[in-house]
Amino acid sequence: MLMSIGLVKKSTFDEYFRQCRRGIKMGFYSDSNYKVRKDLDKVHENQFKNLGEPGSWGSGAQRIAIASQVREACYEKGIQERPGHSSDHDDTILPDVAKSLINKLSTSPKDFLEDSYTEAIDGGLTNEEYVEIVGIVSRVTDMDIFARGIGVELRPLPEPKDGLPARDRPLEAKQELAWVPTIPSHPEGGKLAEDLFGTGHKAYIMRALSLVPNENRMHMELENIQYLPVKNILIADYQHHDGLSRAQSEVVAGRISAFNECFF
Amino acid sequence: MDIGVPGGRELLDFSDALVGDDRKTLDAARIALANSIGEETIAGAAAVAANFTKNDRIANGCGIPTEPMVLKATKEIRAELNLNDFRSAINSSRHFPDDM
Repeated sequence: MLMSIGLVKKSTFDEYFRQCRRGIKMGFYSDSNYKVRKDLDKVHENQFKNLGEPGSWGSGAQRIAIASQVREACYEKGIQERPGHSSDHDDTILPDVAKSLINKLSTSPKDFLEDSYTEAIDGGLTNEEYVEIVGIVSRVTDMDIFARGIGVELRPLPEPKDGLPARDRPLEAKQELAWVPTIPSHPEGGKLAEDLFGTGHKAYIMRALSLVPNENRMHMELENIQYLPVKNILIADYQHHDGLSRAQSEVVAGRISAFNECFF
Repeated sequence: MDIGVPGGRELLDFSDALVGDDRKTLDAARIALANSIGEETIAGAAAVAANFTKNDRIANGCGIPTEPMVLKATKEIRAELNLNDFRSAINSSRHFPDDM
């Protein structure tokens, strides 16, 4: 449908994959009719690759299964379009408790309350697994919304890579005010906190996924490029995107968050 | 209603359509936005929308509270906009009821 109404250049999209197979570099979103900044293009390409790698608690196959489940839930709800390259979804890799969490958080974050978290933990997920899933769900819905926004098909998910998860729970993490343990701000959170969030007190949005430090890093990497560098957040007229003032960016941010009933 | 920024109406329509279930409405909203404030703004608007798609799921998915300082500073506007009616407000009100 996208190709028939001229919003996707089929020849460019097919060419992207041909050139990738030959090892020739094209932009990740080279099939877009709208210009995508190089750093944004690159960060999404890298983050898609990362999905297929073994994580902290999930294997590459499990992580791709999570991403695929996000997409299936969104296709089912009608808020994403199944791309032409879509491969078969393997429904057997993830336990039902994980699928339930993914389906709910992907499609209806405004209805996601503490009972949804409790259900996941009582159903057998550890906090660490839970946080890694939340991280992946959030990043995949993010990048898929971006693709939808610029009018291109969803990017193909990578093939999963072999290897074991790192299983590296940070000793610094403790129960603070979120449902899940978090690493406290520096100095209490120590060197790891300084590495992840810098020095000084940091709001929970910067620390929410810190029980799985790599997911926290991925989240903040996207934050700095998609929204603005966090160090500039208090500069009221800071402009990060071509043609879009800070005020215009905040119109979009506020509207999306209102739709998702995100009080934070 | 005057949103107060150039292309404000088109930005809102694009945002609504992006999270909606009607692809034709989204495609029309994208074109309207490009016509209003320029094609070069599409990727930026989509990126900001994507970013808050991520953040909303992280915040609601981890049950994180808003900082007391922010609650104090936003008391009036939250009441005006009925933001305290958001279900996720409980993640803050259970820790800081006096600041709501």
